[in-house]
Amino acid sequence: MAELTLDGVTKWFEDDGGRIVAVDDARVEIEDGEFLVLVGPSGCGKSTTLRMIAGLETVSDGDIRLGGRTITDEPPTTRDIAMVFQSYALYPHMTVRENMSFGLEESTDMPDDEIRSRVEETAAMMGIEDLLDRKPGELSGGQQQRVALGRAIVRDPEVFLMDEPLSNLDAKLRSQMRTELQRLQEDLGVTTVYVTHDQTEAMTMGDRIAILNDGKLQQVGTPLECYHEPRNVFVAGFIGEPSMNFFDVDLRNGSLVAEEFEYLLSDETLADVEGHDRLVLGIRPEDIELVGEGEGRHDFRTAVDVVEPMGDENNVYLTFADADRAVATDEETETFVATVSGLRSVESGQKVVARIPEEAIHVFDRETGEALHNRKLDRTEVPQPNI
Amino acid sequence: MSSPPASPNPDDHTRRERIEQTIRDADRTRVALYAILLGLVGFYLAPLEAGLMTAFKTTDAFNRTVPFLPPVADGFTFEPWEIAFSEMSNALVNSLLLAVPATVLSAGLGSIAAYGLTTIDWKYQTALVALFVAGIFIPYQAVLVPLSRLYAIVNTQELLSFLWGLPMMHEHYASIINLIVTHVAYGIPITFLLFRSYYQTLSDEMIEAARLDGASVFSIYRNIVLPLSRPIFAVTLIYQFTQIWNDLLFALVILPSGGGAAAPVTIALNSLTGGIVESFNTQMAGAFVAALPTLLVYVLFGEQFAKGVAGET
Repeated sequence: MAELTLDGVTKWFEDDGGRIVAVDDARVEIEDGEFLVLVGPSGCGKSTTLRMIAGLETVSDGDIRLGGRTITDEPPTTRDIAMVFQSYALYPHMTVRENMSFGLEESTDMPDDEIRSRVEETAAMMGIEDLLDRKPGELSGGQQQRVALGRAIVRDPEVFLMDEPLSNLDAKLRSQMRTELQRLQEDLGVTTVYVTHDQTEAMTMGDRIAILNDGKLQQVGTPLECYHEPRNVFVAGFIGEPSMNFFDVDLRNGSLVAEEFEYLLSDETLADVEGHDRLVLGIRPEDIELVGEGEGRHDFRTAVDVVEPMGDENNVYLTFADADRAVATDEETETFVATVSGLRSVESGQKVVARIPEEAIHVFDRETGEALHNRKLDRTEVPQPNI
Repeated sequence: MSSPPASPNPDDHTRRERIEQTIRDADRTRVALYAILLGLVGFYLAPLEAGLMTAFKTTDAFNRTVPFLPPVADGFTFEPWEIAFSEMSNALVNSLLLAVPATVLSAGLGSIAAYGLTTIDWKYQTALVALFVAGIFIPYQAVLVPLSRLYAIVNTQELLSFLWGLPMMHEHYASIINLIVTHVAYGIPITFLLFRSYYQTLSDEMIEAARLDGASVFSIYRNIVLPLSRPIFAVTLIYQFTQIWNDLLFALVILPSGGGAAAPVTIALNSLTGGIVESFNTQMAGAFVAALPTLLVYVLFGEQFAKGVAGET
């Protein structure tokens, strides 16, 4: 086991004289035994980063270190890293047993009977001991997934790399495997880098998550840090489902002024945003309260546009009213989302007052996207991530 | 296996009526189509059938009867086959000695070359692939003179003189070695292309998984790629075997004139014509003897051939 360090790792592709940067100066230190999730939209460079760690892709600049040893230019063969692929990449002509033994046979001098016992042990742990003599083609997707994981585990590598390993499973199996993977990783204590585009997987599985966009690392932190204290607009919008509401606002006379509303700031918040006047106001859907009546300075009159019942909660799409006009004329209006309890009945067209509490707002610079002010947290209420 | 027994129709009437109805309804063009197809089948098979019949007839019977009719009574004989076999047995051995190693070598080398140029990434491979592909388009005629010059300069028989003293070795094998080398060299571009298009369909992630498993380039080939190549090997082996077995041109150019002791079956068949009196029955039997191995190969490996062509893995 060892810690894995990405030190300014950069990857570019030459393309007709031009240079396309896929990963730009990525710096992360992944502690021994940590579960790091690399998350980002497709094409953000997360898979490229993973493939560089594996050695399947050359590194254009920067260093990768594993337990203090620089492995940047080492071939994948000697890195002692195991990877689980999205397509599982099992060897179709070999039985499950042969699939799992292959890595040990190739990379170690281990005697045959020891390989055999280790394969059987791992297979038992993965619950696939009955499948050992079958070929991948005879297995279901979920079973193949287990074999792929088992093949990685049996080698007892320094690092696990996982490239969207759950994306080919159906939803139910996926959430089941998610838990199982987490438990396995905790038991084995192997440093793991997990790539996904699914923010739910990122939030639920990682000790820490690293959010990538356009080849640049946006933020590295625990899931809750990234959720509550996003470093910029991208992170704020990417993490969380439904995603954070954003309003373009200008700072005038201590208020955030948008087309439809004015939001008065306290002195404390004002101090944070000082020196910037073109801003973005962000508020998470669950922080918006819908109240029947209200004339407070952070209460806004809105009309319900669409309601999406999820069972446990309702996603309510709201438009700002002076909204008689908007709803009536079916004008092009921007909506924002609030989530309320699923038991509360809200109907389309209904007029409600949306309360946007100041302690829950985020303020970003509109030019740089950088977060200037994040929501207040009562620290004691944030459960510490279990490391 | 067995088709369901034709269910005895209790109502024979309706069945007949149905058939009549079908015939009445049958599209005239459809009838014409089948007629033409049948005609074509007959047209293509007639020479084969006539050849087979001729091979079983005495010369006398051949002169007296229509070629495609079967031999009758005392017109029937195995003699042409016996003559053909005894005349060509040496050539059959030569052809086997030539075709088997040349086929295996050209397929094996084509596979290795395709693996190196498809599955592994390295510089300049595009240029090399282009060269291989260009090799396919070099016409036989263009290489004949250079080839005969080459083997006039490179005297294989002398170079390998240490071999001929060994048991089971003969000096005329030198010519067969020349032929093998030529066929292998000429076959590699096409086998390369067949393997390359197949290897392009192999999953990259699987190869990468093998690399991460610690397998070397050679080990990946031996343990992963080669075992998965079975269907395409069947295609390539059949194709190359047929090509090399049936080749006459290279044999004529490279072997000493007349073929000598090293003559393969194609040349031997040509020599069967011999004498002043044309013995058609012997020639026909000889033709079948010469074609037999390729037929056998198709029968034995046909299923895998079909799989390989269909691109199944």
